Amino acid sequence: MGALYAMIGIGLTIVFGVMRIINLAHGEMVMLGMFAAFFSQKLWGFDPFLSILVWAPVMFAAGVLVYRFLLRKILPGGELNTLLYTAGLSLLVANLALLAFSGDYRTITLQYAVAPMRPLGIAVPVALAIGFGVAVVLTLALWLFLGRTDLGRAIRATSQNREAAVLMGIDVERVAAVSFGLGTALAGAAGVLLAPSLYLYPTVGELVIVKSFVIVVLGGLGSVPGAIAGGLLLGTVESLGAVYVSSTYKDGLGYVIFLAVLLYRPSGIFGVGKS
Amino acid sequence: MRGRAGAAAWAVAAAAAAALPLAVKNSFFLHVCILVLLWTALGEAWNVLGGYAGQVSFGHAALFGFGAYVTAILYLKAGVAPWWGIPLGGAAAAAVSVPTGLIAFRLRGPYFSLATLAVAELAKLVALNWEWATNGPTGFLITSLPPLTLFGFAVNWESKAPFYLAALALAAVSMGAAAALSRSRLGAFLVAIRENEDAAEAVGIDTVRAKVLTLALSGLLAGMGGGLYAFYFRYIDPDAVLNIGISMEMVFIAVVGGLGTVAGPLVGAVFLTAVGEAVRERFQVGHLVFYGLFMMLVIRYLPEGIWGRARGLAARAGEVRRGAARG
Repeated sequence: MGALYAMIGIGLTIVFGVMRIINLAHGEMVMLGMFAAFFSQKLWGFDPFLSILVWAPVMFAAGVLVYRFLLRKILPGGELNTLLYTAGLSLLVANLALLAFSGDYRTITLQYAVAPMRPLGIAVPVALAIGFGVAVVLTLALWLFLGRTDLGRAIRATSQNREAAVLMGIDVERVAAVSFGLGTALAGAAGVLLAPSLYLYPTVGELVIVKSFVIVVLGGLGSVPGAIAGGLLLGTVESLGAVYVSSTYKDGLGYVIFLAVLLYRPSGIFGVGKS
Repeated sequence: MRGRAGAAAWAVAAAAAAALPLAVKNSFFLHVCILVLLWTALGEAWNVLGGYAGQVSFGHAALFGFGAYVTAILYLKAGVAPWWGIPLGGAAAAAVSVPTGLIAFRLRGPYFSLATLAVAELAKLVALNWEWATNGPTGFLITSLPPLTLFGFAVNWESKAPFYLAALALAAVSMGAAAALSRSRLGAFLVAIRENEDAAEAVGIDTVRAKVLTLALSGLLAGMGGGLYAFYFRYIDPDAVLNIGISMEMVFIAVVGGLGTVAGPLVGAVFLTAVGEAVRERFQVGHLVFYGLFMMLVIRYLPEGIWGRARGLAARAGEVRRGAARG
C-alpha cells in the first residue's frame, strides 16, 4: 500500500506547495479513478490496470479545467476559503457519485489475480503487487519530470518562492494549472491502481483523504520526497501495527502519529516542508 | 434591529414559533422544523468558534457524538432523565473539549483544521472498538422514554411536539449565547484573534484561554445537540453521530448562512436542511449534493454568507436613507 499512498500524497503535496490549496476533494478524485477503472472493465472489458493510460490524461484535463474555471477565482480569498471551497467540492462530487452509482459496495475481480503470489513464503495479493509496481514506476517518472524538465523545475521553483518565480519569468498561472492537473491525475491514477484491491463505494474518498493528510503531514506539507517517505512509513506502520498492536486500532495509530507530528514537528519528520 | 427593538422582535418570533405545533399537525413538516432548529443550534455551536474566532474545525462531530453517547448511556444505564441528561451530555462534551483545545490550539489555520479532523476520526474509532462503554458498532437503542407531566398535561413522546419545543429551546439558547458572546469582552478578543492572531497576542490577549473558553461553549452546545438527537431519533451508533459528515454539515450551515453572525446559522439551516430533506424525499441517497453546491456558490459569490450579505445591504440602504434625509 505504501507506494500507492505515496502517489496520492504527492498529488496533494504538489497542489499545496504551488497554490497553498489544501485540497479536501483529493479523496474524491481517487474515488473517481476507482470507478473509472471499474466501469472500463465492466462496460468495455478493459483491463483495469491498462485503463490508466486513458484515465490519467482524462483526470489531468479535468484537473486543469477545475482549476481554471472553479478554483482560480477563490485563491485570493486565502487558505481557509479554499479549504472550505474544496470541502464543498468534495461533498458535491461524492453525492453526485452516490446519485449516479448508488451506495452499493462493488469489487473488481481479475482472472489472473485470484491466487496470491508467494515470493519468499509471504503471501502477496497479485493485484496489490501490480499496483505497487506501477506506482513505483509512475513515482520515479514524476521524480525525473520534476527534476529534469523545465516545467518540472518551474513547478518546484514556484512552490519554493512564488514571487521569485514570477520575477524569473515563470508563467505562474500555467504552472498552477499544470500542477493541479498533475495532482488530479496522480490521485485518479492511484484510484485506478487501488480499484482491484479495495471495495468501491462513492464515499470511499473520506477514508482516503484522512490517510493522505497523515502522509503529507508526516513528510512535511509541500515536500515531494516527504510525501514518498510518509506514504511508505504509513503503509509500514499500519501493517506492523495490525500485527503488534491490534488490527482494530491500526488506523488509529496513523492518526496518533499524525497529531504528534503536527504538534511537535509541524514541518514534517524530515523538516523539509513548510509550516 | 438594534437593542431593545431587536430583542422584542426576536421574543415575538420565538413565541410565534413556540405556538406552531398547536396550529400545524403535519408531522413531516414538524420533523423538518425540528431538524432545522437542531441544525441551527449545531451550526451556532460551530459558528462561535469558526465564525467569531476564525478557528475552522472539521471535528465537531466528536463533540456532538460525545454528548449523544453520554446522554444515552446516562439514560440507559443510570436512568438519568433526558431533561437532566441532555445538559449533562453538553457539560461532558465541554469538559473533554478543554484539554483537547489546550493541545490543538497550539496549531493555527489549516493545521488546526487537519488536527480536528484526526481527533474526530480517533473518537469514532474509539466508539467503534470500546465495546464495554459504547456497544461498539451496534450502538444504543432507546426504546421508551419516561412519563412526564408538565402543567397538568401528560407529555406524549410519540408526537413531534415535545421534541419541537426542546429543539426550539436549544436553538434559542445557542442564538442567545452567540448574541451575548458577540457583545462581550471575550467576543471582542475572538474577533481580534480572527483578524490577526499575532497582533492580538501582542496587545496582551491570552489567545489560548480565549479560544479554549469558546471551544468549551461550542462543545456545550454541540453536546446538548447530540443529546437531543439521541432522544429524538432514539438510536445512535458511531456512523450516525460521529460521522465526518456531521462535522461538515455544521461547517456548511454556518458558512452558507453567514460566518460570525447570530442569525446566520438559522438562515443556513432553514436553507440547507429544507432543501436537503426535500431531496431526501425524492431520492434515497445523495441529499447532500446541494450542500456542496451551495457551499461553492456562497464562497465564490457571497463570502459573508446569505445573512451577512442581507445585513450588509440593509445597513447600506439605511445609510442611503439617512444621507438623503440630511441632504
